[in-house]
Amino acid sequence: MPWSDIPAPYRRAAWLGGYALAAILAGSEIVILALALNPNVNADYRAYYIDRTTTCLNRDATGSYTLGQTVSFRSDGAKQAASIKVCGWSGSAGDGTHSLGETSRLRLEIPPLGHGLAATLQMAAVIRPPQITQRVVISVNGVRAHAVTLSGKEPRTISFVIPPAALGKADTLEIAFDYLDGIPPTPAASNIYKRSIKLVSFRLDAVEAD
Amino acid sequence: MALEDVVRPNAGGRSIAVAVAAVPLLFVVSGLAIRYAAFASVSEEPGFAAYARALCRWDCAWYIGISEQGYERFPIPNHSNVGRWGFFPLYPMLVAAIRIVFPFQTILVATITSIICSYAACLVAWPLLEKNMRAYVLYCAFLLSGPFSFHFTTFLTEPLFVLLTSCVFLALKRSSYLAAGISSALLSATRLVGVLVVFATVIQMFREHRQQGGSTLSFPRWVLGRPDLLVAILISPAGLFAYILFLYLTVGDGFAFLHVQRAFGRVAGNPLVFLCDGLSAVPTTGWLPTAPQWSALAAVTGLALSAVLVVRRQYGAALFCALCIILPLITNLASMVRYVVGLAPLTMLLAALLSASRLTYLAALALFLGACYFLTVAWTGGYLALV
Repeated sequence: MPWSDIPAPYRRAAWLGGYALAAILAGSEIVILALALNPNVNADYRAYYIDRTTTCLNRDATGSYTLGQTVSFRSDGAKQAASIKVCGWSGSAGDGTHSLGETSRLRLEIPPLGHGLAATLQMAAVIRPPQITQRVVISVNGVRAHAVTLSGKEPRTISFVIPPAALGKADTLEIAFDYLDGIPPTPAASNIYKRSIKLVSFRLDAVEAD
Repeated sequence: MALEDVVRPNAGGRSIAVAVAAVPLLFVVSGLAIRYAAFASVSEEPGFAAYARALCRWDCAWYIGISEQGYERFPIPNHSNVGRWGFFPLYPMLVAAIRIVFPFQTILVATITSIICSYAACLVAWPLLEKNMRAYVLYCAFLLSGPFSFHFTTFLTEPLFVLLTSCVFLALKRSSYLAAGISSALLSATRLVGVLVVFATVIQMFREHRQQGGSTLSFPRWVLGRPDLLVAILISPAGLFAYILFLYLTVGDGFAFLHVQRAFGRVAGNPLVFLCDGLSAVPTTGWLPTAPQWSALAAVTGLALSAVLVVRRQYGAALFCALCIILPLITNLASMVRYVVGLAPLTMLLAALLSASRLTYLAALALFLGACYFLTVAWTGGYLALV
């Protein structure tokens, strides 16, 4: 009904009511917009979805692990591998587990240590000529532990001693793989789809502490 | 006898009303028959439930999830990065509400609801098509028995989006701004781009102001002096704001529907580059265009039809349609065919243009009905351009 068709006695009330409703709508929308511009989220959410500073969305996941045990990242070890994969990995396949994005993480519980730890990993580079190498930086509990340049499609075994500073009194190990040469599937593709390595197996062994 | 001949110029109002109601009903039945035949040609499982499940492809599964389980909080269960937040709530809520009354499988309830929405969209289109029976027949055929009719008859937001878009433009045609505002509010809760229809409302207000002899400069003052217009404008994005508030209260991020696009791998870029890349993705074998080429062609056709709307002085509809194409094009060409065919002003324009001569009308009608079969087969097979 056009505004002018409202009978005169009610027109003023409708006019005031209209402005009141408009004010309520405008006020509500401003408040909601202000709330949306100040999200109440944790650091992991913010880093992945809002700031886009990581491709690896951290999750509250920690797998159990027995020292000396080799965890297969091929299809045959999918169940155990899944429990220690935090983010940045695809599903297990016949030839290993592909990394996804610019960082991948593993997290596992470890027993109280009276000794050091050595890690042994089998990894292969994802290559697409002309790029035939992949540089990987491995950190443990935030401490840089090893850097390696992989080349060729065949898996390579890498071993390194985890720095004592990374262990301390920690009851969990968080192993981060940072990829410096990830290959996007297409030039315009998101960095969450970059491919760098295939992880084939993972193992931790006790070593004498220095 | 051609369908448009059912209604002759001297026919009474009653027979016109019967024809307007019967034409889309006829295409509901023919569309179901054609799509079912297409489904039966590729599936061994008979029955309407199997048919409804087969047509539930791509985003349909997300809407079923929302309708049955609602939205996730954060962290998302099962170590997933991909939340349902990117899919707007009105249509899955509507299906969930109907399912309370009719407790059948969600996809069955949604399929029937979609058909009813598309049928209603046809009825609303009748006055928008200036009561041109040929154009009306073509439009109904396109929505209900046409090459993309599976988009309008399964659990996607397109049926409700087309219905509400038509309601907005019908209300604007009648200068019923409050009705347009309420329809716009519902539209903005159906798909993100629905909020853009508010520009069409403002443009229509401006035209009315100018027709009444008002100047351009006095337009803001005129609007501010009319609380009904203010309410119409401010209520238009209410659906979107309600969803933002919901996401803030549940996820902690009111813009989660935008931010979650990262997990879908959507990256902002230059729409022109995406168009050029799409058009230049030539097939390696055969002559049929590739999926990116179909998507790019859909976007170009949609923008060209928007330009025709400008020529026809339908500025509000033109701006709305152009923005609804360009905005998703900023991320890539994904779903572009569906987005374009779901823009009611464009499909109505196409129907009007094709109905200009009897020959093009009959050819288009035959093409729509024939293509329905083949594209339904492609849709059930997961053809990428139809996503």
